[in-house]
Amino acid sequence: MTGPVLVVGGGPAGLAAAEALSGVGRNAVLVEKEDRLGGAPILSGYAKLVPTGEWAKDAIGGMAARVEADAAVDVRTGCTVKEFGGEPGAFTATLSDGSTVEAPAAILCTGFTHFDSVNKPEWGFGSFPDVVTTTQVEQMISSGQGVRCPSDGRTPKRVAILLCVGSRDRQIGREWCSKICCTVSANIAMEIREELPDCHVYIYYMDIRTFGLYETSYYWRSQEEFKVKYIKARIAEVTSDGERLIVKGEDTLVKRPITIPFDMVVHAIGMDPNVDNLLLSSIFGVELEPHGNIARQSAYGGMGRTSRPGVFVAGAATGPETIDDSIAQANAAAIAALGAGRAATGPKAARKAA
Amino acid sequence: MPIHEQSLIRPENIRTHDELVLDGIDVSGHWSTFIEPRVVTDYNEALEDEIAALPGGENIHRCWQCGSCTNSCTVNAVNPDFNPRYWIYLIRMGMESELLRDRDIIWQCVSCNKCTYACPRDVEPEGVMKATAHWLEKKGHTPKSPSIIFDEIFADQVIARGKIEESSIIRKFLKRTGQPLMQDWLIAMARGLLMKLPVGLMRRMGLAMLFRPRTAGWSKARAALEEYVEECEREQRRALGLGNGKPE
Ligand SMILES: Cc1cc2nc3c(=O)[nH]c(=O)nc-3n(C[C@H](O)[C@H](O)[C@H](O)COP(=O)(O)OP(=O)(O)OC[C@H]3O[C@@H](n4cnc5c(N)ncnc54)[C@H](O)[C@@H]3O)c2cc1C
Ligand code: SF4
Ligand code: SF4
Ligand code: SF4
Repeated sequence: MTGPVLVVGGGPAGLAAAEALSGVGRNAVLVEKEDRLGGAPILSGYAKLVPTGEWAKDAIGGMAARVEADAAVDVRTGCTVKEFGGEPGAFTATLSDGSTVEAPAAILCTGFTHFDSVNKPEWGFGSFPDVVTTTQVEQMISSGQGVRCPSDGRTPKRVAILLCVGSRDRQIGREWCSKICCTVSANIAMEIREELPDCHVYIYYMDIRTFGLYETSYYWRSQEEFKVKYIKARIAEVTSDGERLIVKGEDTLVKRPITIPFDMVVHAIGMDPNVDNLLLSSIFGVELEPHGNIARQSAYGGMGRTSRPGVFVAGAATGPETIDDSIAQANAAAIAALGAGRAATGPKAARKAA
Repeated sequence: MPIHEQSLIRPENIRTHDELVLDGIDVSGHWSTFIEPRVVTDYNEALEDEIAALPGGENIHRCWQCGSCTNSCTVNAVNPDFNPRYWIYLIRMGMESELLRDRDIIWQCVSCNKCTYACPRDVEPEGVMKATAHWLEKKGHTPKSPSIIFDEIFADQVIARGKIEESSIIRKFLKRTGQPLMQDWLIAMARGLLMKLPVGLMRRMGLAMLFRPRTAGWSKARAALEEYVEECEREQRRALGLGNGKPE
């Protein structure tokens, strides 16, 4: 069983899978639907990443550059898989550019789609220009422009970050926690305070999920060093008095309604299943789990297996994931893919065959 | 106009104008009664920094509202309105008007430090209570509490002489807090001392009352202490936005 492994999606997971395969001397074909590699951190222009603080364009851009320069990886940007058939060890994929790829295995690293805040109209996105999303703030920082109110370019004096926008919300059919947005919000809050020391940042939360080691480096650091305020309230409505935004809700710890003026409101948007997942599910013949992500077969052993033997999955395609976990999963899936369609050898296998 | 659920409304939120004419119609008295909303409409962003600038308040920003302090509090057991956890939150979020509603009970902290030992975040709530009581007083929201008056008299005497002489402290304290000198407990204590104290000690106490001895060579130490106290005062007044930074 030779031939390149098919990797679909060129985000952190896909790049890591391709790099891992090349590292053990196996070729890969990397199919990416956009015109460049890097996935969400590059395509959406993230700034400094959790947890290393490296700029996305250096960290993930560096991964993309390594893969592009790698002779073992055949990169196809602006390209998708149209048809996919065959058996583990001998699949054939037809690409949108008309070419075909013979591959023993495939790894789906097709990632997620950002929640579109227009679906929560009560929080003002689309109605008021100074209501923005975490990705927009990431772009303001990464472009070097700085955090400014889009309406008139002024520096905000007070910013509210609303957590769980598009997550943990039955009303819009999204019951999952997007896992990284609490930490990303604490990170953004610190970046705002660093750039604009006179600007106060308030985070409105239902729970804070800066899990594991992020407790100290994000949750407490943002409060102790950067004086970011956390208020337990799910905001009811964002309106405007004509000059500033008005954030309405209940401060649950004091049982009091609040209507507080802000210059800028930031939605900590969640991670939706990739909008392509139904299509991917039918093309590759893989099942989706109830939320609409690509379902994993097993959590213990056989990492990254899908419902179809020989087709694997890694990263945010399986549900909300961090970059480092996506990369780890991609490495695990690469190992699993190398073994696909191969019979085991060695003493135990020989005994079994006898 | 009678308000039926009056018990549910904060008295200070009920407004009536004794004389008010609107569009030529006399709505004086009950006719103009209205209820101010309970809504919090702004945060005072300076509040947390101000408390943190006073001794004891430094760690207030560490609080995660677990309630261990209130749960363990000596005073809370007697008065459920005494709630350090709640005040710490109001201060952190800058809800000044809410804090001021409790101005008359905050100083009741007895400094037992049970909260300090219970707090998982090392906030030292006892210190925060002290800082808050000082803040209320410095901002003119409360008169000086008896314990602050006592501290001042005590510190003044130490700075002046390098020594303390209890009877004069007690006399000054009773005078400044408007209490009669002849307190039952004081008389009982004096009588006890007279009966049980060795004669030599009694003599020394009596002499100290009359001649107010100083620690030898104290004037240098006194100058240094005074300078330091003044500097702290200045800094605190500056942090609290109280004018020129000169001590009162
Ligand atoms: C605002 C925000 C900030 C974040 N910040 C951080 C952070 O600081 N640190 C961190 O660890 N995580 C962060 N995350 C999470 C991070 O974005 C994900 O962990 C990461 O992008 C997952 O990588 P991935 O490769 O699995 O998916 P993606 O990054 O989504 O990449 C998927 C790739 O597949 C391509 N693709 C999709 N469908 C197809 C198809 N049908 N055919 C071909 N190609 C396709 C896409 O174009 C994309 O290039 C953040 C998330 C958000 C929303
Ligand atoms: S990580 Fe935080 S903001 Fe994101 S969905 Fe979960 S709880 Fe909400
Ligand atoms: S020190 Fe004050 S606040 Fe703390 S437990 Fe004792 S009385 Fe309560
Ligand atoms: S015990 Fe400490 S952390 Fe808990 S509410 Fe009191 S001050 Fe805050």
